[in-house]
Amino acid sequence: MIQIIRRMFKTAWQGMKRNSWLSIACIVMMILSLLIFSSILIFNYAANTLVNTLKEKMDITIYFKIDVPEEDILKIRDELLSNEAIAKINYVSKEDALKVFEERSKSNPTIQKALDELGENPLAASLNIKAEKTEDYDTIIESVKNSVFKDKLITVDLAENQKVVSRVDALATVVKIGSLFAISILACLSFIIGFNTIRMAIYSLKEEVEIMKLVGASNWFVRGPFLLEGALQGFIASISTTVIFSFLLLVFSGRIENFVPSLGLSIYFWSHFWLIFFLQTAFGIFLGIISSFWALNHYLKI
Amino acid sequence: MSLIYFKNVSKSYNGSLILDSVTFSVETGEFVSLVGRSGVGKTTLLKMLIREELPTKGKIYFNDKEVNKLKLQEVSLLRRKIGVVFQDFKLLPNKTAFENVAFAMEVAGYSEEAIKKDVPEVLKLVNLQNKADNFPYQLSAGEKQRTVIARALIQRPELILADEPTGNLDPINSWDIIKLLVKINELGTAVMLASHDKEIVNTLGKRVISLEDGRIIRDEQEGRYLI
Repeated sequence: MIQIIRRMFKTAWQGMKRNSWLSIACIVMMILSLLIFSSILIFNYAANTLVNTLKEKMDITIYFKIDVPEEDILKIRDELLSNEAIAKINYVSKEDALKVFEERSKSNPTIQKALDELGENPLAASLNIKAEKTEDYDTIIESVKNSVFKDKLITVDLAENQKVVSRVDALATVVKIGSLFAISILACLSFIIGFNTIRMAIYSLKEEVEIMKLVGASNWFVRGPFLLEGALQGFIASISTTVIFSFLLLVFSGRIENFVPSLGLSIYFWSHFWLIFFLQTAFGIFLGIISSFWALNHYLKI
Repeated sequence: MSLIYFKNVSKSYNGSLILDSVTFSVETGEFVSLVGRSGVGKTTLLKMLIREELPTKGKIYFNDKEVNKLKLQEVSLLRRKIGVVFQDFKLLPNKTAFENVAFAMEVAGYSEEAIKKDVPEVLKLVNLQNKADNFPYQLSAGEKQRTVIARALIQRPELILADEPTGNLDPINSWDIIKLLVKINELGTAVMLASHDKEIVNTLGKRVISLEDGRIIRDEQEGRYLI
């Protein structure tokens, strides 16, 4: 058995060395295939992050009339917290709201002047509500609208929020379906590229396969080194892809994060480095073995 | 018990009959020349013996085993018992002469020690000891054919099939190859030589089976190639 395995490794290595151009062509195509594969992983992560970021940013703010005392608002907050659809409620007092407003309009002297002329705080206290799930926002809005404290609210923002909620929900669905579609197409593309390259490489060696069979080699004796060669090519391609990907990420992740700061592509890549490398290598080796197996079967019938 | 027995074997491709009810047998240690014009079915007949092709009708026996009914694993074993010398050499292009010969031993599961001992001996027998590390493209046609013979010999086969082994060779190399085949036969291995070279067949003075239009028209001991 050890002798067979040793011979298999020797023959596979020899095959790669002596058909170096063919091996290089296969590895290059597999790198392309694996780059697509790894991009799928990253793309999937980016799409999820984008959806989560959008969801994270979604909330409902209900504003209270100026004359509603703080104790009443806090009581309403506690009542609302009993609603299971609500994840978190943040109380923003009139004073806090003013502080934030002043901070934001620091560079606008007209607003500053207007505030000074008013002499009192015109801003309303509010409750900032975050739902457990995006689809819960509609229910929460409805329950707020029909609540016993509805008269204490300035309800204008609710309808507007409803629109935003449905828009974000629709966008999240589009991103999810779109990424699923893109992932399926890219995964197929990646598989087809790798599969066909190895098939063509084996096609060019079909005469050798026939000779081996005519000399008395069993199917597995012929198949073994070819499968191993495919697996080795997959492994080498995976290492090369990791190097290329790391380099690309090093160069471009800064620029990408300028557009979407919360994406954290490089953080994700490095924190999941071994998982990505494992999945990529497994895919490369699987691709090499399955393509070689499939392509060889045709020529082993002799 | 005959080494080879063809019983009413016919073969047709796309409705065109190549071999028509061919019946003959070959005994252990015999030297048989199979003659006839190109396309008469000599190669097809040899291919059927190693089950590269299947007969359309009839039965083929090797050592009393019906070749058509062999299982996949048994086909590999059959091919290890029959050494084949092809006209187009069929050497593995990415292996050296040594490795090509060793390959036949590897498929049969011989140890590295046996390979290191036997391959140089066989290469010496075919006078290729100095070309062991050459790849096929670095060998002349005669040297390639001698490598093929070494590969066929290495497993000590019971039968050697030589399909137009001199077809691509000059007269001097052709005779070297024929002498080698005769020598192998004298050592006890049966040889079946498919050829359309009248001079070679007639000089050999061995059994000759003549084919014409897919049928055996003559089968004579110490026969001649008559057109």
